[in-house]
Amino acid sequence: MRRLAIGFIPLTDAATLIACAERGFATAEGLEIDLHREVSWANIRDRLNVGLLDGAHMLAPQAIASSLGLGHVRVPLVAAFALNLNGGAITVAPELHAAMGATGEDLATGEGTARALGAVVRQRAAAGQEQLTFSSVYPFSTHTYALRHLMEAGGIDPDRDVRLVVVPPSYTVENLRSGLIHGFCVGSPWNSVAVEAGVGRIALLGTELFARAPEKVLGVHARFANAEPDVLRRLIRALEAAARWSEAPENRGDLVRLLAEPRFLGVRADIIERTLTGRPDVGPGGTARTDPDFLVLHRGGATRPDPRHALWIYAQMVRAGQVGYAADAVQEAQAVYRPDLYDAALGLAARPAAAEGDPVGTRFGEAFDAGDSDSVVAYLARLGRR
Amino acid sequence: MPVDPGLKIVIVDESPLRAAILDEGLREAGYVNVICLKERHNLLARLHAIDPDVIVIDLETPSRDVVEQMFQVSREVKRPVAMFVDQSDSSTIEAAIDAGVSAYIVDGLKKERVKPILDMTISRFRAFAKLRAELEQTKTQLEERKTIDRAKGILMRLKDLDEATAYALMRRTAMNEKKRLADIAQSIITAAEMLK
Repeated sequence: MRRLAIGFIPLTDAATLIACAERGFATAEGLEIDLHREVSWANIRDRLNVGLLDGAHMLAPQAIASSLGLGHVRVPLVAAFALNLNGGAITVAPELHAAMGATGEDLATGEGTARALGAVVRQRAAAGQEQLTFSSVYPFSTHTYALRHLMEAGGIDPDRDVRLVVVPPSYTVENLRSGLIHGFCVGSPWNSVAVEAGVGRIALLGTELFARAPEKVLGVHARFANAEPDVLRRLIRALEAAARWSEAPENRGDLVRLLAEPRFLGVRADIIERTLTGRPDVGPGGTARTDPDFLVLHRGGATRPDPRHALWIYAQMVRAGQVGYAADAVQEAQAVYRPDLYDAALGLAARPAAAEGDPVGTRFGEAFDAGDSDSVVAYLARLGRR
Repeated sequence: MPVDPGLKIVIVDESPLRAAILDEGLREAGYVNVICLKERHNLLARLHAIDPDVIVIDLETPSRDVVEQMFQVSREVKRPVAMFVDQSDSSTIEAAIDAGVSAYIVDGLKKERVKPILDMTISRFRAFAKLRAELEQTKTQLEERKTIDRAKGILMRLKDLDEATAYALMRRTAMNEKKRLADIAQSIITAAEMLK
């Protein structure tokens, strides 16, 4: 038995990792997983870096930022397994939602929501009111990019017209209630927790912005991937089996109860279940906004890391001004994603070049059709970032 | 004497006791600008207003991710911060993480100027962890003592034994079953409650 220390943040998309450790999938591959609940993404990165963790639940953009050494010490990571697609949502304070509704825009659509938000921001500026503050969970996260995409589609400059800050998920409810923030984008189940507490209203599901957004990956240090390729292969196989199990409807009851345990999420089981089935309550009275793909753990090849997602993430970093464009970095970012390791572990034949089209399925605003660095440049040029 | 008594140091720690211990240590070492931040809301705005040279933060607070926002210069961040250690200093980073603390410094500040601060922080965090472990152990021992006494009382009553014999019986059982005395005592209490 090889023991592995794996870190996770209490979020619904840690499901595959938790099921892998707790439902025998790791044991079947001769692995014993010790799960370590962590409180910050920064801790996860640092504990991976010094070897206190062998692998971890990581924000896909964080894995790339760490590998590129953005802002801090470079930690070369490998993402050979995608833990999920989607799962985030944008929640706003009820007063803001009412103001958005009063603009007459159609809040049932993503574009209408973006225009409504833009109108409210401009009204407030004209009336000399305080700027709106929105939070995400980490600077390098799909949540940050989703918020910025929404703002830009509404004609708002996310750096000038609003304030974008980081608030840990467990603090979002309190911050929204006290008016320190007016909205946030976080992963499940925190949007539902805010709705349940009566302090927020889900304005948009993440999938109303991007149909297939990269979200969490299993991050391991490059040193580990190189030194113990066999262990990594076994871990990928165990995770793949766990992801398949987690998504099967007949196992949902068991999975939900497991995730609800205090040592994992410590959140009510029915809230987790609605998240997993893509029908979170969005506001008072249990109004639902449904999408079966709200959080995808396994189906449709979701677990295979798609290097075009890494390209998209890099493009969003440049778009957000987090890093200047560099051709080398494009390659480096893409190299963090390792579908080759995934294929080898699962005994799949190497796949042909990636499919055509937008890998994240942008619903509105500038679409991302990039398959190589040239198209990243073209995309950024269309956005006026090059 | 520290290299730089005037460096502005912010401590972000959810444990007020540990923050006080660290604050005291830094002041004793001669640092005069030490500020403890207890509030977890609006942390970035507070940091922005204070504009520290060094931020020391405990690893148990989710607010670390808030501080990492300061890696990027923005409207909220005047001077970008970086992790204390560079690539070459992996032993320091390991010691810090192991002790449960991390530090950030304003970009451009020389490592040597901050090293004494981090060393002090690591040693105080370790001392605090040791203290806490000892306290925990004392508490456990006290609890176990109580459990053993209760179990002894039950045995004395049910089997009509004197104190020394009841105790000897428990100890012999623990040895025979290769269990701790406190575990045997707990089993006696549980059984007695079930048979009530």
